Amino acid sequence: MSEFIQWFQEQFYQTFIEGDRWYIYFAKGLGTTLEVTVGALILGVVIGVCIAIIRSAYDSQRVHWRGLGGILLGLGNLVCKVYLTVIRGTPSTVQLLIMYFIIFGSSQNMIAAAIISFGVNSGAYVAEIVRSGIMSINKGQMEAGRSLGLNYAATMRYVIIPQAIKNILPALGNELITLLKETSICTVIGLMDLTKGAMIVQSRTYAPWMPYLSIAVIYLVMVLILTKLLGILERRLRASDQR
Amino acid sequence: MISVKNLHKSFGDHKVLIGVNEHIEKGEKVVIIGPSGSGKSTFLRCLNLLEEPTSGEIVFEGQNITSKQTDINLVRRKMGMVFQQFNLFPHLTVKENIKLAPVKLKVMTDAQADKRAMELLARVGLPDKADSYPIQLSGGQQQRIAIARALAMNPDVMLFDEPTSALDPEMVGEVLEIMKELADDGMTMVVVTHEMGFAREVGTRVLFMDGGNIVEQNEPKAFFEHPQNPRLKDFLSKVL
Repeated sequence: MSEFIQWFQEQFYQTFIEGDRWYIYFAKGLGTTLEVTVGALILGVVIGVCIAIIRSAYDSQRVHWRGLGGILLGLGNLVCKVYLTVIRGTPSTVQLLIMYFIIFGSSQNMIAAAIISFGVNSGAYVAEIVRSGIMSINKGQMEAGRSLGLNYAATMRYVIIPQAIKNILPALGNELITLLKETSICTVIGLMDLTKGAMIVQSRTYAPWMPYLSIAVIYLVMVLILTKLLGILERRLRASDQR
Repeated sequence: MISVKNLHKSFGDHKVLIGVNEHIEKGEKVVIIGPSGSGKSTFLRCLNLLEEPTSGEIVFEGQNITSKQTDINLVRRKMGMVFQQFNLFPHLTVKENIKLAPVKLKVMTDAQADKRAMELLARVGLPDKADSYPIQLSGGQQQRIAIARALAMNPDVMLFDEPTSALDPEMVGEVLEIMKELADDGMTMVVVTHEMGFAREVGTRVLFMDGGNIVEQNEPKAFFEHPQNPRLKDFLSKVL
């Protein structure tokens, strides 16, 4: 037993204390992971909502929009469909490599490349989640809004979207959790995130146990916190459903 | 007030309205009855362009609303609509439901809309429900709120699409009562319904639709006592 304790202490010292590794690799790495996750989340939601609105507008409104508006809507829908097909049909690792080495080729800004790559990737999934949320709202709601004189956009904004968000929150939370964990693949472009930090520590100490089990725990704790926060948000949004 | 000329509506190959012509004067209470699938709801929904007519012309207050130049959103402010399924906004309180359109369309300030909402709630007999959510109300109460919401924009005409068909029998009366009061106040109304009592009592004119057109119309007494068309006779013998 005392041998194990001694081994543990040694490992702990090597992994975290020596050379301030807890800060240089773990704390800073965690910061980068969170930065990429939050940036990608915001970008993903913006892209996703825009695409969902274009796609559902096309599905329900194309018969009413004539002339230039109708052509633009059709074109927008086509662009969205191509985007969804390409993004969902290729691995996110490959997308990240293309983003960093080809599109960002000369700039070397890893964090920006990672945020945009994960954001664009996440946007495709968020788009379909939001669209399913919009479609889940009874069409009578749109009719009621329109019959009062609100236009399509205003009805979407004040009537449909607020209800849709409530319905899609669990799926959206799931996407956020996936996103947080998926950022670990940004090690392939050399970005110093939490996972890359652990890899570097292992390459110095030649001891895989402590760094990898530690980051697994850190990811798990972050996911648990997120799950809890989403649960609270969901309950608050459901306030109007309670009798 | 509303003139309909040669109105056609098809869903794909299915012809629902076949050349409807009708003229509705200000202050009239027009009740439309007919078997299901006769096109009466579609006709009503064409009046505020919730259904886009395939061809034909609808003129409302001198304005051709089927024309591409018309901003239908402005026209709809003057046409209140009440739906079979109420369609209240479940994420908003009763008062917010009523205030939404006047405030967002900037025809009233928040304070004005608030005052208006409370007046309307008093009118439909539900002032104490202002801060409730729709799900906390009975069907009859929800439909009364839906009527208040439609009235918030001060419409010139009210369209009712089977307003009592989704209600439990004991709640039909309270909704019809509100509609009757509205009629007594001089509101122009177009009502699709199966409530023959309401048609007889409140209607100034009753239309019978069958097969996508209006096949008979008359003032209520003559309509129900001396029906001419054999299909109307058959229909009335089943429902009365």
